[in-house]
Amino acid sequence: MLDKRAEGASGPAHLQLVNVWKRFGEGERQTVAVRNVDLAIQPGEFVTLIGPSGCGKSTLFNMIAGLLPPDPDGSVVFKGQPQQDGALLGKIAFMPQRDLLFPWRTVLDNATLALEVEGMSKKAARQKAEALFPEFGLKGFEKHYPQQLSGGMRQRVALMRTFLFERDLILLDEPFGALDALTRSMMQRWLLDIWAKHKRTVLFITHDIDEAIFLGDKVVVMTARPGTIKCEETITLPRPRDASVVTTQEFMAIKRKLLAIVEEESMKTFAAAGAA
Amino acid sequence: MSGSPNALRRVLANPFAAIVIVALAWWIAVPLFKIEPRFLPPISVVFADGMSVWRDLAAGLWRTLLETVLGFLAGAILGIAFGVGFAYLRFLERAFFPIFVALQTVPVIAFGAIVVIWFGNTIMAKVVIALYLAFFPVAVNTLRGLETTDPQRIALMKSFGASGLQLFLKLALPTALPSIMIGLKLGISLSLAGAIVGEWFGDTVGLGVMLLQSLYFEQIPRVWVLIVACGALGTVLYGFLALIERRFVWWRPD
Repeated sequence: MLDKRAEGASGPAHLQLVNVWKRFGEGERQTVAVRNVDLAIQPGEFVTLIGPSGCGKSTLFNMIAGLLPPDPDGSVVFKGQPQQDGALLGKIAFMPQRDLLFPWRTVLDNATLALEVEGMSKKAARQKAEALFPEFGLKGFEKHYPQQLSGGMRQRVALMRTFLFERDLILLDEPFGALDALTRSMMQRWLLDIWAKHKRTVLFITHDIDEAIFLGDKVVVMTARPGTIKCEETITLPRPRDASVVTTQEFMAIKRKLLAIVEEESMKTFAAAGAA
Repeated sequence: MSGSPNALRRVLANPFAAIVIVALAWWIAVPLFKIEPRFLPPISVVFADGMSVWRDLAAGLWRTLLETVLGFLAGAILGIAFGVGFAYLRFLERAFFPIFVALQTVPVIAFGAIVVIWFGNTIMAKVVIALYLAFFPVAVNTLRGLETTDPQRIALMKSFGASGLQLFLKLALPTALPSIMIGLKLGISLSLAGAIVGEWFGDTVGLGVMLLQSLYFEQIPRVWVLIVACGALGTVLYGFLALIERRFVWWRPD
């Protein structure tokens, strides 16, 4: 863990947010969604982001994906280069909360969507995707349509689509939020396997503290709205992690600490809602 | 009559069964309730009358089919083009949409008179009226379908670096297709009505012409022959579109 941080300090961060703000509206009706966010993600790192609901996580995400320009105060730096408006589009593999599969495309053609957009021929894209089907637990479902799949399978198709869009940085916005607890913990372990094999940098949003600790090299906690980074917690739990890690003393200690912080922020959200 | 209720249900579900049942009811009801031929002639008389003019009927069907299909195709192409234009160029919608709405309130009869003055008693006049009626539902449903494109899916496509054209072809158009099909199915029925009404303004061939003539001469069985012929033509055209839809546009927006 120590040498990893030393490594990060020497090379440029994969993605760096410097004093990022986002305000909506004008004058008195202006609301601040995200304020003064500073965050650095090292190459190959798995960073999880938690915070109370409505804290601006998704706004932050859209800015990193290049879908929303940050206010001019700060900047998003990608591989050492500050990014102008929209310049990040097509550079980051982005997976939103909903699977957003296209109902008129088969599972296979949904998986190849990003490759097709990039201009790869349908045949080549399909060949490339087919190789990944066993690994994503979807073998035999290539010709099915999304409507015929369970929630967990649809989410895996969406993840495969994201992985096939081969970018070093992957943004995942609560990808397992809608799944039942059992499927969810299976998907988490499976995601770690995939990540270990493919070695991508991951930024993963969740509101589940267990998930954040279990997956992450680093857990970043956001404050209540207007969201900013409250603290960062480096997770030193050994990898590979299996399901039993969540019952260890070490895990519990981290959880207790983070829970206290998140709850404090959640209370603020409630208080603000009550006052308004 | 025997068979399980399931078999009966399967027979009834067949669209041809419905036709047979209606024909049987007609055949039985007229003598049973002593219905005057002026209101509803016996089916046998109608059938015989139809057979006696089958040459005119075939020519009329062909002519009306041609007018309907040409008008529908032109109306569908224009409707889809304007629907797409309205969806992507807001100024176009603001400029033209109110005009089209106003035009829709002009009865097709009033409009038809002008079209005949413009184009004379040609097939063009009927095609234009059929086009005029098909255009609006297609344009509106195309616009509505394109507007339902999921903003989150647009964001996803953009994150893949998709161009405007890719967004349209891979996302917006497939999203809109079920809605466009609704417009087309409305449009084809209206096109048929437009072609028939167009023929009333003067022509020598066509189902509409025959309908008008039989009304003048009070040939009641002939009127019924033409009602059946128009219904059959409309059903075939609609059925053709429904088949295309089932084969190619089977998904529903989620």
